Amino acid sequence: MSYVKEKATITLTVNGETHELEVGPGPSQVAPWHTLAQTLRETLGLTGTKIGCDHGGCGSCTVLVDGKAILSCITLSVECDGKSVTTIEGLGSPPGRAPDPIQQAFIDHTAFQCGFCTPGIIMASKALLEKTPSPHESEVKDALSGHFCRCISHYHVVRAVMAAAKKGS
Amino acid sequence: MMPFDHVNAGSPGEAVDLLTSYGGKGRLIAGGTDVLGILKDRILPDYPDVLINLKTIPGMDSIKESGEGLNIGALAKLADIASSPEIKAEYPALSLAAESVASPEIRTMATIGGNLCQDVRCWYYRYPHHMGGRMLCFRKGVGPCYAVKGDNRYHAVMGGKKCFAVCPSDTAIALCALQAKISIFGGEGTRTLPLEKFFTPMGNVLRSNELVKEILIPKPTQETRQAFIKFTERKPVDFAVASIACVLEILGGRCMDARIYLGGVAPMPWHAEAAERIIKGGSLDDPTAEEAALASVAGAKPLKGNAYKIEIVKALVKRALLRRQ
Repeated sequence: MSYVKEKATITLTVNGETHELEVGPGPSQVAPWHTLAQTLRETLGLTGTKIGCDHGGCGSCTVLVDGKAILSCITLSVECDGKSVTTIEGLGSPPGRAPDPIQQAFIDHTAFQCGFCTPGIIMASKALLEKTPSPHESEVKDALSGHFCRCISHYHVVRAVMAAAKKGS
Repeated sequence: MMPFDHVNAGSPGEAVDLLTSYGGKGRLIAGGTDVLGILKDRILPDYPDVLINLKTIPGMDSIKESGEGLNIGALAKLADIASSPEIKAEYPALSLAAESVASPEIRTMATIGGNLCQDVRCWYYRYPHHMGGRMLCFRKGVGPCYAVKGDNRYHAVMGGKKCFAVCPSDTAIALCALQAKISIFGGEGTRTLPLEKFFTPMGNVLRSNELVKEILIPKPTQETRQAFIKFTERKPVDFAVASIACVLEILGGRCMDARIYLGGVAPMPWHAEAAERIIKGGSLDDPTAEEAALASVAGAKPLKGNAYKIEIVKALVKRALLRRQ
Protein backbone atom coordinates (compact mmCIF):
# COMPACT_ATOMS: atom_id res chain seq x y z
CA MET A 1 0.00 0.00 0.00
CA SER A 2 1.05 3.57 -0.49
CA TYR A 3 2.16 5.03 2.71
CA VAL A 4 2.79 8.58 3.66
CA LYS A 5 5.28 9.43 6.31
CA GLU A 6 4.04 12.12 8.59
CA LYS A 7 7.46 12.47 10.06
CA ALA A 8 10.67 11.00 8.73
CA THR A 9 12.01 10.12 12.16
CA ILE A 10 10.90 9.75 15.75
CA THR A 11 12.97 10.25 18.85
CA LEU A 12 12.69 7.73 21.64
CA THR A 13 14.65 7.99 24.83
CA VAL A 14 14.91 4.47 26.17
CA ASN A 15 16.58 3.92 29.54
CA GLY A 16 18.31 7.27 29.21
CA GLU A 17 19.68 6.62 25.75
CA THR A 18 18.23 8.66 22.90
CA HIS A 19 17.40 6.85 19.66
CA GLU A 20 16.61 8.61 16.45
CA LEU A 21 14.52 6.09 14.50
CA GLU A 22 13.43 6.34 10.90
CA VAL A 23 9.74 5.87 10.25
CA GLY A 24 9.34 3.13 7.68
CA PRO A 25 8.66 -0.55 7.17
CA GLY A 26 12.30 -1.67 7.07
CA PRO A 27 14.07 -3.89 9.62
CA SER A 28 15.76 -1.11 11.57
CA GLN A 29 12.87 1.30 11.17
CA VAL A 30 9.67 1.99 13.04
CA ALA A 31 6.49 1.50 11.02
CA PRO A 32 3.28 3.38 11.90
CA TRP A 33 1.63 0.08 12.80
CA HIS A 34 4.40 -1.08 15.13
CA THR A 35 3.62 -1.26 18.79
CA LEU A 36 6.09 0.03 21.34
CA ALA A 37 6.59 -3.55 22.54
CA GLN A 38 7.54 -4.57 19.01
CA THR A 39 9.94 -1.65 18.59
CA LEU A 40 11.61 -2.27 21.94
CA ARG A 41 12.07 -5.96 21.29
CA GLU A 42 12.71 -6.15 17.59
CA THR A 43 14.17 -2.80 16.56
CA LEU A 44 16.10 -1.98 19.72
CA GLY A 45 16.78 -5.56 20.82
CA LEU A 46 15.47 -5.00 24.34
CA THR A 47 13.77 -8.34 24.83
CA GLY A 48 13.26 -7.91 28.57
CA THR A 49 9.80 -6.52 27.82
CA LYS A 50 7.53 -9.51 27.16
CA ILE A 51 4.52 -9.84 24.91
CA GLY A 52 1.97 -12.17 26.46
CA CYS A 53 -1.58 -11.71 25.24
CA ASP A 54 -0.69 -8.78 22.94
CA HIS A 55 -4.13 -7.30 23.74
CA GLY A 56 -3.61 -5.38 26.97
CA GLY A 57 -5.07 -8.08 29.17
CA CYS A 58 -2.06 -9.65 30.89
CA GLY A 59 0.32 -6.83 31.84
CA SER A 60 3.51 -8.58 30.67
CA CYS A 61 4.44 -5.75 28.32
CA THR A 62 4.25 -3.00 30.95
CA VAL A 63 6.91 -0.30 30.63
CA LEU A 64 7.16 3.24 31.95
CA VAL A 65 6.48 6.08 29.54
CA ASP A 66 7.31 9.43 31.12
CA GLY A 67 7.17 7.69 34.49
CA LYS A 68 3.74 6.13 34.07
CA ALA A 69 3.13 2.40 33.75
CA ILE A 70 1.48 1.68 30.40
CA LEU A 71 0.97 -1.34 28.19
CA SER A 72 3.48 -1.27 25.37
CA CYS A 73 1.59 -3.86 23.29
CA ILE A 74 -1.34 -1.49 22.74
CA THR A 75 0.74 1.65 22.32
CA LEU A 76 1.91 2.75 18.89
CA SER A 77 5.61 3.56 18.73
CA VAL A 78 5.07 6.60 16.53
CA GLU A 79 2.87 8.04 19.27
CA CYS A 80 5.81 7.86 21.70
CA ASP A 81 7.84 10.38 19.70
CA GLY A 82 9.78 12.57 22.12
CA LYS A 83 8.89 10.45 25.14
CA SER A 84 11.06 8.79 27.70
CA VAL A 85 10.67 5.04 28.06
CA THR A 86 12.00 2.89 30.90
CA THR A 87 12.13 -0.87 30.49
CA ILE A 88 13.29 -3.61 32.84
CA GLU A 89 16.78 -3.22 31.32
CA GLY A 90 16.89 0.34 32.62
CA LEU A 91 16.47 -0.56 36.28
CA GLY A 92 19.27 -0.82 38.81
CA SER A 93 22.40 1.20 39.19
CA PRO A 94 24.31 0.97 37.05
CA PRO A 95 21.38 -0.12 34.87
CA GLY A 96 21.47 -3.79 34.01
CA ARG A 97 24.44 -4.51 36.31
CA ALA A 98 23.31 -4.21 39.92
CA PRO A 99 19.67 -5.00 40.60
CA ASP A 100 17.11 -2.41 41.61
CA PRO A 101 15.84 -2.86 45.19
CA ILE A 102 12.55 -4.18 43.76
CA GLN A 103 14.42 -6.74 41.63
CA GLN A 104 16.45 -7.78 44.68
CA ALA A 105 13.25 -8.16 46.70
CA PHE A 106 11.78 -10.38 43.98
CA ILE A 107 14.89 -12.57 44.18
CA ASP A 108 14.83 -12.64 47.99
CA HIS A 109 11.15 -13.59 48.08
CA THR A 110 11.25 -15.99 45.11
CA ALA A 111 8.51 -13.85 43.61
CA PHE A 112 8.53 -15.67 40.27
CA GLN A 113 8.84 -19.12 38.82
CA CYS A 114 9.02 -19.01 35.02
CA GLY A 115 9.63 -15.26 35.11
CA PHE A 116 7.70 -14.33 31.99
CA CYS A 117 5.34 -11.90 33.71
CA THR A 118 8.06 -10.56 36.03
CA PRO A 119 9.42 -7.62 33.98
CA GLY A 120 5.91 -6.23 33.61
CA ILE A 121 5.11 -6.69 37.28
CA ILE A 122 8.39 -5.08 38.35
CA MET A 123 7.81 -2.07 36.08
CA ALA A 124 4.31 -1.58 37.48
CA SER A 125 5.73 -1.93 41.01
CA LYS A 126 8.39 0.63 40.15
CA ALA A 127 5.73 3.12 39.02
CA LEU A 128 3.75 2.47 42.20
CA LEU A 129 6.69 2.95 44.57
CA GLU A 130 7.85 6.10 42.79
CA LYS A 131 4.43 7.62 43.45
CA THR A 132 3.58 5.89 46.72
CA PRO A 133 6.82 4.94 48.52
CA SER A 134 5.03 3.26 51.46
CA PRO A 135 1.94 1.64 50.00
CA HIS A 136 -0.65 -0.31 51.92
CA GLU A 137 -0.88 -3.93 50.84
CA SER A 138 -4.22 -3.21 49.18
CA GLU A 139 -2.60 -0.47 47.10
CA VAL A 140 0.02 -2.96 45.89
CA LYS A 141 -2.71 -5.41 44.96
CA ASP A 142 -4.67 -2.72 43.13
CA ALA A 143 -1.60 -1.46 41.27
CA LEU A 144 -0.75 -4.98 40.13
CA SER A 145 -4.32 -6.06 39.43
CA GLY A 146 -3.73 -5.99 35.67
CA HIS A 147 -0.93 -8.55 35.83
CA PHE A 148 -1.35 -12.25 35.34
CA CYS A 149 1.08 -14.78 36.70
CA ARG A 150 0.30 -18.26 35.49
CA CYS A 151 2.74 -19.76 38.01
CA ILE A 152 0.59 -18.21 40.76
CA SER A 153 3.43 -16.26 42.35
CA HIS A 154 1.08 -13.40 43.18
CA TYR A 155 1.39 -13.86 46.96
CA HIS A 156 5.18 -13.76 46.84
CA VAL A 157 5.02 -10.74 44.54
CA VAL A 158 2.96 -8.75 47.03
CA ARG A 159 5.38 -9.72 49.81
CA ALA A 160 8.37 -8.71 47.67
CA VAL A 161 6.92 -5.31 46.77
CA MET A 162 6.01 -4.63 50.40
CA ALA A 163 9.54 -5.60 51.45
CA ALA A 164 11.08 -3.37 48.80
CA ALA A 165 8.89 -0.49 49.99
CA LYS A 166 9.93 -1.07 53.60
CA LYS A 167 13.60 -1.07 52.65
CA GLY A 168 13.23 2.12 50.66
CA SER A 169 11.55 4.10 53.42
CA MET B 1 -0.74 -5.52 12.66
CA MET B 2 -1.40 -4.95 8.98
CA PRO B 3 -0.05 -1.66 7.64
CA PHE B 4 -1.75 1.67 8.04
CA ASP B 5 -0.62 5.28 7.92
CA HIS B 6 -0.63 7.42 10.99
CA VAL B 7 -1.31 11.13 11.25
CA ASN B 8 -1.47 13.42 14.23
CA ALA B 9 -4.41 15.79 14.38
CA GLY B 10 -3.66 19.24 15.78
CA SER B 11 -7.25 20.28 16.35
CA PRO B 12 -10.77 18.79 16.22
CA GLY B 13 -11.25 20.57 12.88
CA GLU B 14 -8.14 18.96 11.47
CA ALA B 15 -9.28 15.52 12.66
CA VAL B 16 -12.64 16.00 10.93
CA ASP B 17 -10.92 17.21 7.74
CA LEU B 18 -8.73 14.12 7.78
CA LEU B 19 -11.74 11.86 8.32
CA THR B 20 -13.45 13.51 5.36
CA SER B 21 -10.44 13.40 3.07
CA TYR B 22 -9.81 9.71 3.74
CA GLY B 23 -13.45 9.02 2.92
CA GLY B 24 -14.32 6.26 5.35
CA LYS B 25 -10.84 4.71 5.29
CA GLY B 26 -9.66 6.71 8.28
CA ARG B 27 -10.17 5.70 11.90
CA LEU B 28 -9.74 7.75 15.01
CA ILE B 29 -7.37 6.65 17.73
CA ALA B 30 -7.34 8.14 21.22
CA GLY B 31 -6.17 5.84 24.03
CA GLY B 32 -5.97 3.00 21.51
CA THR B 33 -6.87 0.32 24.05
CA ASP B 34 -9.93 -0.77 22.08
CA VAL B 35 -9.12 0.10 18.48
CA LEU B 36 -5.71 -1.60 18.40
CA GLY B 37 -7.27 -4.86 19.60
CA ILE B 38 -9.84 -4.61 16.81
CA LEU B 39 -7.11 -4.03 14.23
CA LYS B 40 -4.82 -6.75 15.58
CA ASP B 41 -7.59 -9.33 15.32
CA ARG B 42 -8.95 -7.86 12.07
CA ILE B 43 -12.46 -8.57 13.28
CA LEU B 44 -13.99 -6.19 10.76
CA PRO B 45 -13.86 -6.71 6.98
CA ASP B 46 -12.83 -3.05 6.61
CA TYR B 47 -9.28 -2.16 7.55
CA PRO B 48 -8.33 1.51 7.80
CA ASP B 49 -5.76 3.16 5.53
CA VAL B 50 -4.91 5.62 8.24
CA LEU B 51 -5.20 6.13 11.97
CA ILE B 52 -5.90 9.71 12.97
CA ASN B 53 -4.36 10.40 16.36
CA LEU B 54 -6.49 12.63 18.58
CA LYS B 55 -4.07 12.69 21.51
CA THR B 56 -2.11 15.48 19.86
CA ILE B 57 -5.08 17.87 20.10
CA PRO B 58 -4.16 20.30 22.87
CA GLY B 59 -6.53 20.92 25.78
CA MET B 60 -9.06 18.22 24.95
CA ASP B 61 -8.16 16.21 28.07
CA SER B 62 -9.18 18.79 30.64
CA ILE B 63 -11.48 18.21 33.60
CA LYS B 64 -13.14 21.49 34.60
CA GLU B 65 -15.51 21.99 37.50
CA SER B 66 -17.67 25.08 37.61
CA GLY B 67 -20.73 26.22 39.53
CA GLU B 68 -22.95 24.69 36.87
CA GLY B 69 -21.25 21.35 36.67
CA LEU B 70 -18.42 19.41 35.19
CA ASN B 71 -16.89 19.60 31.72
CA ILE B 72 -14.73 16.67 30.77
CA GLY B 73 -12.74 16.71 27.54
CA ALA B 74 -13.14 13.52 25.52
CA LEU B 75 -9.42 12.81 25.86
CA ALA B 76 -9.45 12.87 29.67
CA LYS B 77 -7.94 9.66 30.95
CA LEU B 78 -10.07 7.30 33.04
CA ALA B 79 -7.30 7.28 35.69
CA ASP B 80 -7.51 11.06 36.00
CA ILE B 81 -11.30 10.93 36.26
CA ALA B 82 -11.16 8.18 38.89
CA SER B 83 -8.61 10.03 41.01
CA SER B 84 -10.05 13.55 40.72
CA PRO B 85 -11.03 14.71 44.24
CA GLU B 86 -13.85 16.89 42.82
CA ILE B 87 -15.36 13.99 40.90
CA LYS B 88 -15.01 11.71 43.93
CA ALA B 89 -16.84 14.24 46.08
CA GLU B 90 -19.60 15.42 43.76
CA TYR B 91 -19.93 12.72 41.09
CA PRO B 92 -19.04 9.50 42.92
CA ALA B 93 -21.02 7.35 40.49
CA LEU B 94 -18.71 8.48 37.68
CA SER B 95 -15.60 8.14 39.81
CA LEU B 96 -16.51 4.57 40.76
CA ALA B 97 -17.40 3.69 37.17
CA ALA B 98 -14.07 4.98 35.86
CA GLU B 99 -12.23 3.17 38.66
CA SER B 100 -13.98 -0.10 37.78
CA VAL B 101 -12.61 -0.24 34.25
CA ALA B 102 -9.97 -2.83 33.35
CA SER B 103 -6.59 -2.33 35.06
CA PRO B 104 -4.52 0.65 36.28
CA GLU B 105 -2.38 0.57 33.14
CA ILE B 106 -5.41 0.62 30.85
CA ARG B 107 -7.04 3.41 32.86
CA THR B 108 -3.81 5.40 32.45
CA MET B 109 -4.14 5.08 28.67
CA ALA B 110 -7.88 4.91 27.99
CA THR B 111 -10.00 8.03 27.54
CA ILE B 112 -13.58 8.81 28.52
CA GLY B 113 -14.51 9.47 24.88
CA GLY B 114 -13.13 6.09 23.92
CA ASN B 115 -14.91 4.40 26.80
CA LEU B 116 -18.21 5.69 25.46
CA CYS B 117 -17.40 4.83 21.82
CA GLN B 118 -15.79 1.43 22.39
CA ASP B 119 -17.03 -1.49 20.35
CA VAL B 120 -18.90 -4.44 21.85
CA ARG B 121 -17.15 -7.44 23.40
CA CYS B 122 -19.38 -10.16 21.90
CA TRP B 123 -17.08 -13.13 21.37
CA TYR B 124 -18.55 -13.92 17.96
CA TYR B 125 -18.13 -10.32 16.84
CA ARG B 126 -14.59 -10.23 18.24
CA TYR B 127 -13.54 -13.59 16.85
CA PRO B 128 -9.97 -13.12 15.46
CA HIS B 129 -9.54 -13.35 11.71
CA HIS B 130 -6.25 -15.22 12.02
CA MET B 131 -7.91 -18.13 13.82
CA GLY B 132 -9.96 -19.57 11.00
CA GLY B 133 -11.59 -16.39 9.78
CA ARG B 134 -13.69 -13.64 11.28
CA MET B 135 -17.38 -14.22 11.87
CA LEU B 136 -19.59 -12.09 9.71
CA CYS B 137 -22.70 -11.34 11.71
CA PHE B 138 -25.68 -9.04 11.78
CA ARG B 139 -23.68 -6.30 13.47
CA LYS B 140 -21.16 -6.40 10.61
CA GLY B 141 -23.97 -6.10 8.10
CA VAL B 142 -24.00 -9.71 6.89
CA GLY B 143 -25.43 -12.80 8.48
CA PRO B 144 -27.26 -13.70 11.67
CA CYS B 145 -26.52 -12.98 15.30
CA TYR B 146 -24.56 -16.04 16.40
CA ALA B 147 -25.42 -15.40 20.03
CA VAL B 148 -29.05 -16.36 19.50
CA LYS B 149 -28.26 -20.04 19.01
CA GLY B 150 -24.76 -20.02 20.41
CA ASP B 151 -23.19 -19.41 23.81
CA ASN B 152 -24.96 -16.28 24.96
CA ARG B 153 -24.07 -16.16 28.65
CA TYR B 154 -22.73 -12.60 28.35
CA HIS B 155 -25.32 -11.27 25.95
CA ALA B 156 -28.36 -9.04 26.25
CA VAL B 157 -31.39 -9.99 28.31
CA MET B 158 -33.24 -6.83 27.39
CA GLY B 159 -33.68 -4.74 24.30
CA GLY B 160 -31.93 -7.15 21.93
CA LYS B 161 -33.53 -7.50 18.52
CA LYS B 162 -31.16 -8.35 15.69
CA CYS B 163 -27.91 -8.19 17.63
CA PHE B 164 -27.57 -9.28 21.24
CA ALA B 165 -24.19 -7.78 22.10
CA VAL B 166 -24.29 -5.52 25.15
CA CYS B 167 -22.99 -1.99 25.48
CA PRO B 168 -19.74 -2.58 27.41
CA SER B 169 -19.19 0.95 28.73
CA ASP B 170 -19.13 1.37 32.51
CA THR B 171 -18.98 5.14 32.44
CA ALA B 172 -21.98 5.32 30.09
CA ILE B 173 -24.52 4.25 32.69
CA ALA B 174 -23.02 6.51 35.37
CA LEU B 175 -23.07 9.46 32.99
CA CYS B 176 -26.63 8.73 31.84
CA ALA B 177 -27.80 8.61 35.47
CA LEU B 178 -26.02 11.93 36.06
CA GLN B 179 -27.93 13.39 33.08
CA ALA B 180 -24.74 14.10 31.16
CA LYS B 181 -24.74 15.65 27.74
CA ILE B 182 -22.32 14.80 25.00
CA SER B 183 -20.83 17.37 22.70
CA ILE B 184 -20.08 16.09 19.21
CA PHE B 185 -17.89 17.94 16.74
CA GLY B 186 -18.17 17.40 13.00
CA GLY B 187 -18.21 18.86 9.54
CA GLU B 188 -21.37 20.80 10.31
CA GLY B 189 -20.14 22.19 13.61
CA THR B 190 -20.91 21.14 17.16
CA ARG B 191 -24.07 19.40 18.31
CA THR B 192 -24.91 18.56 21.89
CA LEU B 193 -27.34 15.86 22.92
CA PRO B 194 -28.28 13.99 26.08
CA LEU B 195 -25.85 11.09 26.42
CA GLU B 196 -28.78 8.67 26.49
CA LYS B 197 -29.61 9.72 22.93
CA PHE B 198 -26.04 9.06 21.82
CA PHE B 199 -26.41 5.29 21.99
CA THR B 200 -28.23 3.15 19.45
CA PRO B 201 -28.75 -0.62 19.38
CA MET B 202 -25.92 -0.88 16.81
CA GLY B 203 -23.53 1.53 18.50
CA ASN B 204 -23.95 5.27 18.48
CA VAL B 205 -25.11 8.23 16.42
CA LEU B 206 -21.62 9.43 15.42
CA ARG B 207 -21.47 10.15 11.71
CA SER B 208 -18.40 9.23 9.68
CA ASN B 209 -17.01 12.77 9.96
CA GLU B 210 -17.69 13.36 13.63
CA LEU B 211 -15.89 12.93 16.92
CA VAL B 212 -16.77 13.19 20.59
CA LYS B 213 -15.42 16.44 21.97
CA GLU B 214 -16.70 16.87 25.48
CA ILE B 215 -18.96 15.49 28.21
CA LEU B 216 -21.01 17.97 30.21
CA ILE B 217 -22.53 16.98 33.55
CA PRO B 218 -24.88 19.24 35.49
CA LYS B 219 -23.99 19.73 39.14
CA PRO B 220 -25.93 17.34 41.36
CA THR B 221 -28.02 18.86 44.14
CA GLN B 222 -27.16 18.57 47.83
CA GLU B 223 -29.85 15.92 48.25
CA THR B 224 -28.37 13.62 45.66
CA ARG B 225 -27.34 10.10 46.54
CA GLN B 226 -25.35 8.18 43.95
CA ALA B 227 -24.37 4.58 43.52
CA PHE B 228 -22.49 2.53 40.97
CA ILE B 229 -22.10 -1.23 41.31
CA LYS B 230 -20.53 -3.51 38.74
CA PHE B 231 -20.81 -7.26 38.87
CA THR B 232 -17.93 -9.08 37.19
CA GLU B 233 -16.61 -12.59 37.28
CA ARG B 234 -13.22 -11.35 38.42
CA LYS B 235 -12.38 -7.94 39.83
CA PRO B 236 -9.82 -6.47 37.43
CA VAL B 237 -9.69 -6.52 33.63
CA ASP B 238 -13.27 -7.61 33.16
CA PHE B 239 -16.43 -6.24 31.64
CA ALA B 240 -19.70 -6.03 33.50
CA VAL B 241 -21.92 -9.10 33.56
CA ALA B 242 -24.40 -6.58 34.87
CA SER B 243 -24.00 -3.16 36.43
CA ILE B 244 -26.10 -0.36 37.82
CA ALA B 245 -25.74 3.36 38.23
CA CYS B 246 -28.36 5.31 40.10
CA VAL B 247 -28.77 8.90 41.13
CA LEU B 248 -31.48 9.53 43.70
CA GLU B 249 -32.77 12.79 45.13
CA ILE B 250 -33.66 12.14 48.74
CA LEU B 251 -35.52 14.86 50.62
CA GLY B 252 -36.78 14.31 54.13
CA GLY B 253 -36.45 10.58 53.80
CA ARG B 254 -38.48 10.51 50.61
CA CYS B 255 -37.15 9.78 47.16
CA MET B 256 -38.16 12.82 45.10
CA ASP B 257 -36.45 11.85 41.88
CA ALA B 258 -34.56 8.83 40.61
CA ARG B 259 -32.52 7.86 37.62
CA ILE B 260 -31.53 4.25 37.31
CA TYR B 261 -29.49 2.82 34.43
CA LEU B 262 -28.38 -0.75 33.93
CA GLY B 263 -25.23 -1.85 32.11
CA GLY B 264 -24.15 -5.13 30.59
CA VAL B 265 -27.70 -6.29 30.00
CA ALA B 266 -28.83 -4.50 26.84
CA PRO B 267 -27.36 -3.17 23.59
CA MET B 268 -27.53 0.30 25.14
CA PRO B 269 -27.43 1.72 28.66
CA TRP B 270 -30.78 0.44 29.90
CA HIS B 271 -33.04 3.03 31.48
CA ALA B 272 -34.98 1.25 34.25
CA GLU B 273 -37.93 3.63 34.17
CA ALA B 274 -40.41 1.19 35.70
CA ALA B 275 -38.17 0.87 38.75
CA GLU B 276 -37.84 4.66 38.98
CA ARG B 277 -41.63 5.08 38.99
CA ILE B 278 -41.97 2.72 41.93
CA ILE B 279 -39.49 4.48 44.19
CA LYS B 280 -40.40 8.06 43.29
CA GLY B 281 -42.35 9.87 46.01
CA GLY B 282 -41.97 7.24 48.69
CA SER B 283 -39.44 6.26 51.29
CA LEU B 284 -36.75 3.81 50.30
CA ASP B 285 -37.34 0.75 52.40
CA ASP B 286 -36.76 -2.90 51.83
CA PRO B 287 -40.15 -3.78 50.26
CA THR B 288 -39.98 -0.77 47.88
CA ALA B 289 -36.48 -1.73 46.78
CA GLU B 290 -37.65 -5.30 46.25
CA GLU B 291 -40.55 -4.11 44.15
CA ALA B 292 -38.29 -1.79 42.15
CA ALA B 293 -35.87 -4.64 41.57
CA LEU B 294 -38.65 -6.77 40.13
CA ALA B 295 -39.87 -3.89 37.97
CA SER B 296 -36.37 -3.24 36.63
CA VAL B 297 -36.34 -6.60 34.89
CA ALA B 298 -40.00 -6.71 33.86
CA GLY B 299 -40.19 -7.57 30.20
CA ALA B 300 -36.72 -9.07 30.09
CA LYS B 301 -36.31 -11.74 27.42
CA PRO B 302 -33.31 -13.84 28.35
CA LEU B 303 -31.66 -16.12 25.84
CA LYS B 304 -30.90 -19.74 26.60
CA GLY B 305 -27.79 -19.12 28.66
CA ASN B 306 -28.19 -15.76 30.34
CA ALA B 307 -31.30 -15.80 32.51
CA TYR B 308 -28.94 -15.74 35.52
CA LYS B 309 -28.26 -12.09 34.70
CA ILE B 310 -31.82 -11.21 35.72
CA GLU B 311 -31.22 -12.41 39.27
CA ILE B 312 -27.97 -10.43 39.40
CA VAL B 313 -29.70 -7.28 38.16
CA LYS B 314 -32.40 -7.62 40.80
CA ALA B 315 -29.79 -7.94 43.53
CA LEU B 316 -27.83 -4.97 42.17
CA VAL B 317 -30.93 -2.76 42.04
CA LYS B 318 -31.83 -3.62 45.62
CA ARG B 319 -28.29 -3.09 46.83
CA ALA B 320 -27.89 0.23 45.04
CA LEU B 321 -31.21 1.59 46.29
CA LEU B 322 -30.62 0.60 49.89
CA ARG B 323 -27.00 1.68 49.97
CA ARG B 324 -26.37 4.50 52.42
CA GLN B 325 -23.75 7.01 51.39
